[in-house]
Parts: sequence; structure tokens; C-alpha cells
Amino acid sequence: MKKVLSVENLQKSFKNTKVLKNISFDVHQGEIMAILGPNGAGKSTTIRNIMGIMYPDEGSVTFHNHEGKEIPRHKIGYLPEERGLYKNVKVMDVLLYFASLKEYPKEKAKQRALVFLEKLGLKGKEYASVEELSKGMGQKVQFIGSIIHEPELLILDEPFSGLDPVSQEIFRDEIKELAKNGTAILLSSHQMNLVESMCDRLFMINRGEKVIYGSMDDVKTEYANFKCTIRGKNETAALERIPEVTRVDQSDDISILYLTQDVEVTSWLKQLPNDIDVQELSVDRVSLHEIFVDIATDRNLAEEVGEAHA
Amino acid sequence: MKLMRNSMKVAKWEFKRNIRNKSFIISLFLTPVLFILFSTAPTLLSNLSEDEEAGTTVYLNDQLGVYEAIEPMIENEDFVDWNVVETSDQPKAMQSQLKEQEDAAYVLINEESLKSGLVTFMIGDDLDKGFENELQVFQQPLKQMQLQQAGLSQDQMQLVNTPIQYELAEVETAAGDKSTEEAMGGFPYESAIPGIFAGLVLFSIVISGMMIFQSASQEKKDKVAEIILSSVTAGELMQGKILGYFTLGILQVGVWITLALPIALWKLEDVPVLEYLFVPETALLTFIAVLGYLLFASLFVGLGATVEDYTTSGNFQGMVMMLPFLPFVLIAPIFSNPSGIVAQVASFVPFTAPGVLIMRLSVLDEWPWVEILIAIVVLLASIWIFMKLAGKIFQIGILIYGKNATPQEIWKWLKA
Repeated sequence: MKKVLSVENLQKSFKNTKVLKNISFDVHQGEIMAILGPNGAGKSTTIRNIMGIMYPDEGSVTFHNHEGKEIPRHKIGYLPEERGLYKNVKVMDVLLYFASLKEYPKEKAKQRALVFLEKLGLKGKEYASVEELSKGMGQKVQFIGSIIHEPELLILDEPFSGLDPVSQEIFRDEIKELAKNGTAILLSSHQMNLVESMCDRLFMINRGEKVIYGSMDDVKTEYANFKCTIRGKNETAALERIPEVTRVDQSDDISILYLTQDVEVTSWLKQLPNDIDVQELSVDRVSLHEIFVDIATDRNLAEEVGEAHA
Repeated sequence: MKLMRNSMKVAKWEFKRNIRNKSFIISLFLTPVLFILFSTAPTLLSNLSEDEEAGTTVYLNDQLGVYEAIEPMIENEDFVDWNVVETSDQPKAMQSQLKEQEDAAYVLINEESLKSGLVTFMIGDDLDKGFENELQVFQQPLKQMQLQQAGLSQDQMQLVNTPIQYELAEVETAAGDKSTEEAMGGFPYESAIPGIFAGLVLFSIVISGMMIFQSASQEKKDKVAEIILSSVTAGELMQGKILGYFTLGILQVGVWITLALPIALWKLEDVPVLEYLFVPETALLTFIAVLGYLLFASLFVGLGATVEDYTTSGNFQGMVMMLPFLPFVLIAPIFSNPSGIVAQVASFVPFTAPGVLIMRLSVLDEWPWVEILIAIVVLLASIWIFMKLAGKIFQIGILIYGKNATPQEIWKWLKA
């Protein structure tokens, strides 16, 4: 796949704090790439540097063959985390304004606006005042504003935040559709289930540093060990004594057994002791959410300990 | 080229957005209406109250026939507002009448008045001693009668009656220069009209420039800034706003002048308003007004980006917003001495220069070209510096959410 965006060794400091440390990744045509990380990890700063809203101290951002200030920003769509709309204007006017800033022809923009308004359940709202829209409707209009000009690269910072589950599904489908049609998408989100279900690759950042970078399958193979969920009345100590078990989380009669990375699941199941109470049993890979929480908390904890020792 | 194109898009949007805004439309038409109302209301009200008052009833016992000479003056209400009732009653008989009619007066003019120069009068309780001044209308006819009795000829009487006049000789003034001014009651319309026009332009565009402050902070509050900044640079956004609100200000002036000009032409029928307006001086004064706008607009746009919500802006921001009104404090010293030290110094201070220059040049016969040139250079340099500083503040401030920036923070941004 053709490389659309390339971020290389991005570094940025605010006052004396380094907020980005050698961040590098690529986004390809037609793929959905997730940029993940806890709050304050540096996601939005990375995105703002890509968008030219701020510029890095070191490193480069390349869009096709254009670098830095030469990047044609009208070919990029952007939905920032901090977003809103002008209040006292009509929906169509604000969409046409966004399109004009992206140098997109007015008539085509009007047509696309109508198509997307209908697709997102806002048919008939084109001449309504923005003030009359609900929060969810407003977010849909903002989303349309970011894609109205047929961008080659679409950057979405927390596109699902504040949306109800139905709207989240609609957004997810629309984003997947755009990727299918060739748009390169860079997406930041805390909704791990949605990220897992739609993204091809991911880049995880914590405290300004790369933590994980790769395809969803690679990440799962590398980080997502197996876990065994058992419903039954069991002692924690008894479960912890089972070979290859690294950790046990217990709540009422549900026990989750986290297994070592190179465990052979079928062999492991055969050697389970006969004296444990099993009403139900399932084996899954740990979710992206659990990987995210584990990595974020481990790293933060490690750094806090390091800082305390220092 | 692209920079200008993007700025123009922003400018067009700001113009379109505000021109459809109800509060802008209302203020556009309401301001001149209010202005006209406030400027004409006192006269209208006083006329109304004058109409309601019937005037002072004056019972006149005129035994010499003096009234005949002053009757036209009294009827025209040129000097006094009297309802004269001729009577032959003596003072004693009138006393009870004046007790009942408290807003009336009685005047007795007889042979004794002519001999002794003493006119007897009585007033009701509602009248004050100011009525004595009104009695001066009898001065000339009575004096004429006295001189006639003394046996003076007509020419001698005229000479005696002609008051001594004093004439101020002009130094180095071209002949005819003062004639129109004198004809217009001493007001220098010729130099003042371009000044009034430029002052109006400055006032209007600075007022609309203040809306930039609101627009920038509103954009922050509504969280639209980052979306816009993904398409245009902070500099383009800032320039677009300055340009957009400038156009709104000019439109405002256009509407105001369209409404005010017919009234001005009607009220000042003897003054060639248009002839005085379309002169090169107007162009220079308007240029100074535009420079003033650019200076304050850059200040306001930068300041707007430091405020999360303009309704909660701090003292610092409030103080900066007052800067355009600084020249009003200097009105008295500038008009009393337009070439004085206060006027000169204020011409070189960027925040006061536009207003002060317009005021000074509206009243000065000879323009101090060197001072004007220096002031314009100072203004241009200040605009350049303020645009740069505002750009820095705007770029950082517009993306800071959740609080108003303190002067210390703004200072840090400027140093960054």
C-alpha cells in the first residue's frame, strides 16, 4: 500500500518538559491506523504537529512528498478532540465554509453535504441553525465537516467521545467505508473495542514515547496472551498453583487466569487439576483494552518507582 | 498569494456571519437613529415645553405710545415671550390682579419715565428678577424719545444710538478665507467636515474592531479554532478577522453616513458639505483612521485569544479595551491648543495618535507636516510590531482552553 503519511523522529518540548520523544510511524492509503495512549500521553500533540497547528522541535512530518510547511493541508481532513461549531449559523453554511477553506468546489461540497447529512440521519437539517442541534447531531456535522472535501488523509482525534452507542456504530461504519475507498485514516480513541474492531494497525504512546507499533495481529500475538475464565467456587491460592498461570483475578465465583506468553493452550487445559470447580470455562486472548491498561499502568508504575528511587 | 486567498475566505465568512446577525443589524440602524434622537430630542422637548407655556402676561400702561415701536419684536418672540395687555390702570389698582395672577407683570411708562429715566414695574410671585432684563426692549424707543425731546436731529440721534464696535484684524490671512466661516457663525466647517468624517470612520471601525475580541474568544469558547487552524495558519486567520471586521466597520460608516448626510445637508443648508468633504485632506485623515483601526484590531484579536469567555475577561483585558477611548480624555487640551505640548506628545503615542491627529488637523489652519509624517511612521512601526506580537499571542492563546490567560502567561508567550 502506498505510504501517505510518514512521521519520523518527532520531538517536541513545552518549557523544559519533553512531551514527544522520537515518535515515528507511517499511515498507508486505505488503512485505519490507531494512535492510542492514556490522557496526556502525547497523542493530540503528535496530531497537532502533523496538522501544522504546531511544529516539532526536531523530526519531520511528510505527506506524500511534501514536508512540514509545504504539506497541502487542504488534502487532509481533521476532527480535533476539542471541537465545536459556530453557534449562530446554518448547518449548510458552516459545512460550505469548511469546504471552502479546503479549496473544495462549492457545488460539489453542497452535494456531498446533503449525501452525508442523509447518511447520518440529519436529512432536512441543512438549513437549521447549529444552535438547534443536539450535541450528538453537532458531532455528526463536525464529522461531515472533516470529510466533506474528500481528504486523502483523515485524522480523527477521539471521534467517538460523547456519542451514544448507535452513533458510534454509524461513525465506525462510515470510517471503514472511507478507508475502503482509499482514504488513509489516523484515529485516536479510548474506545478499545471499536479500535479493535476497525483498525488495521496501531501505535501506542505513553509519556511521549512509543510503546507498541504494528498490525493488530502482530500486537495481539506479541502482547495478547491467553486468559482462561472459569465460573466455579475456587480458592485463589489453588488456582495460582496451576502451572503457566501468571496472575489470578477473582470476583465472586468468576476467576480469570492469565497465562504465560508461550503456553500451549490444549496441553495446558489437559493438565488442569481435577479438584477445581468448573461450571463454565472459556479461553480467549486478552483484549486490546487489557493490553492498553496493563502497558499504561506498568510503565507509569515503573517510572514512578524509578523516580522515587532517583 | 495563497495567504491572501485564505485570509479573504476568513474575512468573507466573518462578514457574512455578522451581517446576518440580528444584533449587528439592529445596532447598524439603531445607532444612527439613537444618535439623531439624542441630538434632536432636547431641542424638540424644549420647543414642546415652550409651546405649552403661554408666555408672560404683561399689563402695559403705555402713556407715551412706546409699544408701537416694539410690537413687531414682541410678536415675533425674538427677545421676549410676552402676551401684552394694554391697560390704563395705575400700580395700586394692579396689585390685587398680580396677587391672583402670579405669572403676570405690570409696566408703567409715562412722562415721568421719560424725564427721570425710571420705568416702574411689578411682578407676580412666579416671575423672578430676570424679568428686569426683558424690560430692556423698551431701552431704545425710550432713549430715542428722550433725544427727540432734547432737540437732536435725526442724524445726530442715529449716531448717538449706534454702539461702538470692535474689529479683530487678521494676521496674514488670505482675503475671503474667513467670510464663509463668519457667515456660518464662526464654526470652521471647511476643516471640520473631513475631520468629522474621519472621526466617524475611526469610531465605527474601532467599535467593529472590538467585535474581533469577541469573535476570537467566541471561537475559542465554541472550540472551532482548531478546526479552522487545520486549514489556515494562525496568521491567515488573524488577518482574515481583521479584514472582515474592517469591512463591517466600513459598511457601518456607509449606512450611518447615508442616513446622516441628508439630515446634515438639510440642517446645514448654507454649508457646501459635499464640497468640503471631497477634498484631499479627507483622504489623509481617513488613512490615519485606518491605521488606528489596524493598530487596535491587532491588539484586540491577540487579546481575544487570551480569553476563554469574553463575559468573564479580567481587569487586564478590560483596561486594554479602553485604550481607543484615551483621546477623549485629551479633547479639552487639544481643542484649546491644537499645537500645544499635550497635542504634540499625544500625536506620537501610538494609542492616542489616530484620534488626536484627527482632532488637531480638524481645527488647525496650517498642518504641521513634519509632525504628521513622524506620527504616521510611528503608527506604521507600531502596527507592524503589534501585528507580530498579536500573532504570537493568537497562535498560542487560541489553543489554550479552560481559562483566561494572566498577563504573566501572555508575557511568557511573547518571550517564547
